[in-house]
Amino acid sequence: MNKLIYDFALWVDGHASSTSLHESFYMYNWVESTHVLALMISLGMLFLIDLRMLGFALPGVPASTIARRLSVPMIFGFTVMFATGLLLFYAIPVRTSQSLWFRIKLVLLVAAALNAFLFHRRMLSAPTGWDHQIKAPRNLRVGAALSLLFWALIVVCGRFIAYDWFDCQRDPSPLVGLLAGCLDGQTVF
Amino acid sequence: MRIPMNKLMIAAAALAGATAVSWEAWGHHAFSAEFDADAPVSLEGKVSKIEWINPHAWIHVDVTQDDGSTQTWMVEGGTPNTLLRAGIHKRSLPIGSEIKVRGYQAKDKSCQPACKANGRDLTFADGRQVFMGSSGTGAPRDGSDPRES
Repeated sequence: MNKLIYDFALWVDGHASSTSLHESFYMYNWVESTHVLALMISLGMLFLIDLRMLGFALPGVPASTIARRLSVPMIFGFTVMFATGLLLFYAIPVRTSQSLWFRIKLVLLVAAALNAFLFHRRMLSAPTGWDHQIKAPRNLRVGAALSLLFWALIVVCGRFIAYDWFDCQRDPSPLVGLLAGCLDGQTVF
Repeated sequence: MRIPMNKLMIAAAALAGATAVSWEAWGHHAFSAEFDADAPVSLEGKVSKIEWINPHAWIHVDVTQDDGSTQTWMVEGGTPNTLLRAGIHKRSLPIGSEIKVRGYQAKDKSCQPACKANGRDLTFADGRQVFMGSSGTGAPRDGSDPRES
């Protein structure tokens, strides 16, 4: 599995456009800054929705109205964030694919997506009448709290990708090396 | 339980303030996370390789040590963009050119596969000296960064 990921990363790394983005004077900076700005839009909206469900924000506005209105900029932000995120990976595929933080982040992203799917389904099937209450039903509150937790951790993991503490080049412990996908005798890092 | 909005606002403002303060100390790519402010180094040698990459460029320098052996150092600089603005570009640093770099060694001093350092200023063979780091990283205020007061 780790060998497969490494070979895939090498293949991506072999593209001239990957290298030129990695070495660019402006483009990489634009992509990275846009990624963070889009994060502020998407997570700003998401957090407001979640906090409304938990009863901490905008209690006077119906929960479904908040969810419906704010999800438009939220989806826009997510789209830009994923697109720029892919480009950031494209620029530095080998090191990123072997980053422990990036791998934890991906697992959390899957968890957050699953949670969002369940949340949406629960919201549609929830009995009516809770819309004007300060707090959403319990199963929605659990989903909102998990969403806040997952995304906060995703942002932290994303930030930590910048640091080389567990990089394969630094010969991490066998367990970390396995989780990060370090390979014996690899020459490209 | 309903938390009053004004209390929530105060809590949010306090959290934002605390984050801003700690972020300021932490910097962009926190110097102290990887480099040792108590281990200044001064390296003279030949450029053996340049990784002209974001978010930080790396200049590899082969340093001849007192015993005659060669030790390779990887010196971290700013982004390709900041280096260009400071006056360093690929053509101004051909492989084999003699340079002098002052900076701080990494906390990880195992020197595997090469010794690592954070570069502060770089002196070309003709004596021209330029700042090669990034501003606001929490690196010691040693006067090498012209944008620091």
